[in-house]
Amino acid sequence: VTTALGLVALALGVALAWAWRRHVALRRQLDDASAELERLQQALRRFAPHALADEIVATGVSTHGERREVTALFADLVGFTPIAERTDPDVLVRVLNGYYERMSAAIAAHHGHLSTLIGDGILALFGALQANPWHSNDAAHAALAMQRALADYNRELAAGGLPALALGVGLHRGTGVAGLVGSRDLLQFTVVGPTVTVAARVQDMTRVHRAEILATEAVLSALDPRFQTRPLAPTALQGVAEPVATWAIIGFDGERH
Amino acid sequence: MSGLERVAWESRVLEPRRDPALEAELRKSGGFVAPMVAYLSDCPWLARATGLLNEFSLGLRQLSPEVIDLIGLVVSQDSSCRYCYATQRLLMRAQGYSERRIRALEGSFFAAQREPRERAALEYARRVSRCEPRPGAADRAALRAAGWSDDAIRELALTASFNVFLNRVATLLALPVERLERMSRHWVVSLLSPVAALRIRALRARALRLPVPPAPRDGSWSGLVRALDGLRAAAVLGDLLEVAIASPLLPARAKGLAFAAIARGLGCPHGERAALALLEASGFARERAERTLANLGAPELDPVEAAVLPFARETIRYEPARIQRHARELATALPRGAFVELVGVTSLANMVCRLWLALEAP
Repeated sequence: VTTALGLVALALGVALAWAWRRHVALRRQLDDASAELERLQQALRRFAPHALADEIVATGVSTHGERREVTALFADLVGFTPIAERTDPDVLVRVLNGYYERMSAAIAAHHGHLSTLIGDGILALFGALQANPWHSNDAAHAALAMQRALADYNRELAAGGLPALALGVGLHRGTGVAGLVGSRDLLQFTVVGPTVTVAARVQDMTRVHRAEILATEAVLSALDPRFQTRPLAPTALQGVAEPVATWAIIGFDGERH
Repeated sequence: MSGLERVAWESRVLEPRRDPALEAELRKSGGFVAPMVAYLSDCPWLARATGLLNEFSLGLRQLSPEVIDLIGLVVSQDSSCRYCYATQRLLMRAQGYSERRIRALEGSFFAAQREPRERAALEYARRVSRCEPRPGAADRAALRAAGWSDDAIRELALTASFNVFLNRVATLLALPVERLERMSRHWVVSLLSPVAALRIRALRARALRLPVPPAPRDGSWSGLVRALDGLRAAAVLGDLLEVAIASPLLPARAKGLAFAAIARGLGCPHGERAALALLEASGFARERAERTLANLGAPELDPVEAAVLPFARETIRYEPARIQRHARELATALPRGAFVELVGVTSLANMVCRLWLALEAP
């Protein structure tokens, strides 16, 4: 009887020890998961507004859309197709990644949100993630910073015997619907509506006007007068009823952090 | 390790510089000296503010100490302030919370598993901290539906915005966090908890006994001060704003511009009006101030004003390491007192504007 009781006690002790170890391991996993969730929440807020990020964390999805006034920046590499055709694919990917890295740093430094990469094109939004009374100025500063960053990058490319890249940027300000757009497999926070389309069309006009950065009147009216601009003739844009007047942004007469 | 401990955090922007006379004064008036005071001694009103604001936080009557502590955690987490988060954790440990209980609390509010009344309060605190979208009547209605009285809602807004202030002071100065974080998890802290809990209870009892002094009834900030009527915070905040504006370390125009930029960035018309009045009083014409604010700069600004404006704007929402690098640049460009005062003014403006919006005060 004593031996049997001893064995039962031993078995219970082993079971308890196992259960305790299991409890500790589960607790640690729970703590790690909690820390990971917190970290993800923090990270998610860089890609979507806070409220939206919380909704995604809580429910896994968001169908919420909101009208917002934004400045859309559309950038494209001018004359990139022939470069792409004659460059080794590995080198091309490296060149493009270097370009994107520099452009996204310039956009983020001026409170912009990189929304979409389309081929060699970039859509960045200002005032979409958070209310921002200075979104047009920020977008124009970002465009100039992108121009400077590309000039530096071109020097690096030239040192490696690679062709220079040329940039065209279109800026337009207006209202769009901001929200999570896409399919179950690919969702992104963006703004949809004519504001983005006009910015893309204005970017196309950089080739016609031989200017790197073009802005519409809606942007110009909100712009710091210290920006140096040059008026250009109104031009018909595809899908826009009236010809659109644009201004080339040449520089900024002052300092900005 | 909490997720926050992985947030990039620069080394401290300033070396501590202790002022024994100031610390003795703070110890005598408030019963304790916060460690961050060693970094603020060049701007005495800011050093005193940490004590005064802590005191009114301890003297709140409608909120339980646990809710006040939880708001501290939630707002610090939301502002990515590792220093305040670790301080709050340490304080909770010192009051007898076990490490396990704190972890459970952290887990429960990140996973939104708290009971509805408390969850509504924490959501509101987060809303006040973020101001995106701005807290409004619908939020207060939700709090009332969850069982919070109007007086309690004022205290919730006050507690959240007070943490916004502390978060900014600590983050902009990149106060050292590693030791604090280690301590906040150390088992030795629990050994000290009976003594610490008694001390905190005594400070709370002392704060609750303090009289409610009359608050200023007029001036640029009167709308906000009146909205806090009946709370000790009304007079404390009113006096604090007057003292901060009158302090000579940073020129009044630079302070007005910083305040106005933050008010505009947060969409707080009353805060902006108060800042514009301040600018007008210091000889900055209204129209010129409007133009300067619209562009966050103007050719005729002096170098301090031109540097202060974009920095003030950055303090509204930020990534800690980035704003800390910006702060370090300013710390080398400005005299130490002026820089610490700039940290104080921008932190105060962030607190005041968020509170103004949350209370929808006139």
